[in-house]
Amino acid sequence: MSETQVIDRGTIVIAISAALADVLKREADQIAEGTRLFDDLGLDSTSVLELLMRIEDDLGVEFDTDTLEQRHFETVGTLADYVAEQA
Amino acid sequence: MQNFLSRMKKALTGSPDTPLVFLGNFEVEDQWARGEPGLPRTSFSAGAAIVNRMDEFALLLAGEGDHVVLKEAPDDDHLAHLEELGIALPEILTAARNDPGATVTRDALADPGLLRTLSGLAGAGALLSPHGTSEAEEELSAAARLPLVTPSAAVCKAVNSKIYSRRLADETGIRQATGWTAGTLAELADAVAAARSLLAAGRSVVAKDAFGVSGKGITVIDDERRLDRLHEMILRRARKSGDQRAALLVEEWVAKKADLNYQFTVYRDGSSHFDFVKEAITEGGVHKGHRIPADLTPAQVAELEETSRTLAKRLAADGFWGVVGVDAMVDPDDRLYPVIEINARNNMSTYQVRMQELFMAPGQVALARQYPLRLARRLPYARLRAALDDLLLAGPGGAGLLVNNFATVNAGAGDGPFDGRLYGLLLAPDRAALAALDREIAGRLHAETDRRPS
Repeated sequence: MSETQVIDRGTIVIAISAALADVLKREADQIAEGTRLFDDLGLDSTSVLELLMRIEDDLGVEFDTDTLEQRHFETVGTLADYVAEQA
Repeated sequence: MQNFLSRMKKALTGSPDTPLVFLGNFEVEDQWARGEPGLPRTSFSAGAAIVNRMDEFALLLAGEGDHVVLKEAPDDDHLAHLEELGIALPEILTAARNDPGATVTRDALADPGLLRTLSGLAGAGALLSPHGTSEAEEELSAAARLPLVTPSAAVCKAVNSKIYSRRLADETGIRQATGWTAGTLAELADAVAAARSLLAAGRSVVAKDAFGVSGKGITVIDDERRLDRLHEMILRRARKSGDQRAALLVEEWVAKKADLNYQFTVYRDGSSHFDFVKEAITEGGVHKGHRIPADLTPAQVAELEETSRTLAKRLAADGFWGVVGVDAMVDPDDRLYPVIEINARNNMSTYQVRMQELFMAPGQVALARQYPLRLARRLPYARLRAALDDLLLAGPGGAGLLVNNFATVNAGAGDGPFDGRLYGLLLAPDRAALAALDREIAGRLHAETDRRPS
């Protein structure tokens, strides 16, 4: 986690958008900070783990999945806030 | 010919006339999974309001003389329509308060008046028949002093573990994908090492939660880096909790041509009855419906029947009796994999059986499916009926749609637009007519749900 403390929010948003596009087979340019993960992108509980693994790989962060709540998955922005907290 | 319900009652209670109190506690797996170290999971309740209202399926499994416990009373017009069709309905008991986030079991437990009513039914010889039995249903049984028709929650949970399914298939020589069970972190390390060789050979693997809901709690892994990432996430959690257990499987990913679901009933004396096999329609791993009959050769059906007898003997020896659904598959070379997982509980298709018996004529084909809806406001049954009109089933042997769960349509209603699901059983004389009916229904529903609130 130590080397991740300097990740800026813009980088996190870009990484999350790319991970979502990859996991959900979407175009990355359709995904923005306000995009809703469940309602707009159709994320489901099955895809969440894959998404988290992908973000861990790309950003070098480590999630404590016990602390993840549904509110963190409202939008790309809320997930970015959570990732920034964990980094 | 004895119908499913009478046969099931006789098998489990000794009499085809025992009154049962049905409880549609869908996704009971979530209860069984509590405290089990499966795949890293997040505490989501997305869609929980809809899943909890799947309790209404029990309405059409129960028969005359039975009771069904629901979170909320059904739409009066839906009930009236079912009665018009000549369906003998059970007595309906509803919880005082429908908490959308709670299972029907929890709502029932929170209603002292309902508990008293259930106690009264126990006096008349009734038994509690849940979708599947977890500790919550045992709690309800105890609170209402209404005995369960099923084995204990401990037995039901044990035989519903995918680790149990896999070991049973291993021990009895039933064909299954190459794979490994992990009940401990040490076994998980072995499974990861073994899976690595498959990945190195260009194959894919799947990691499964031992207590995941069918189609959920599963992740496909295509490379070693991702496998190591998953392993590390699980070890990280274990370091924090100090728990050395695991509740996982790792298997080779096998391509499939068709998903199957078959059901049998294990009698208390260890014998069994093969109830049916259906083709399951899945989308992205999530269950969407069933095609009836399944497109199988007589030899394939015979193999499933034989497998069911083998499984039933083992399940009975391990203390289980009751309804068992098994997920199976056919690979692109038409090879059968008779056991993907054992679900020792009712299954979606269990709830269609009584309607098939009542309405499906010989030679007819059926499709049980759900239509996803996006609604601006609550959709009353009367309006749905008017919109679908000539596409609805009019009687036995006819073609059309029978709505077998309407509660899930409006379960998510709140402020603003919401998602719902309409569940139905479609009957038609042949596959082409069935597909045309399905398309027509989807089209009319789309027009209905696209409409702005008036």
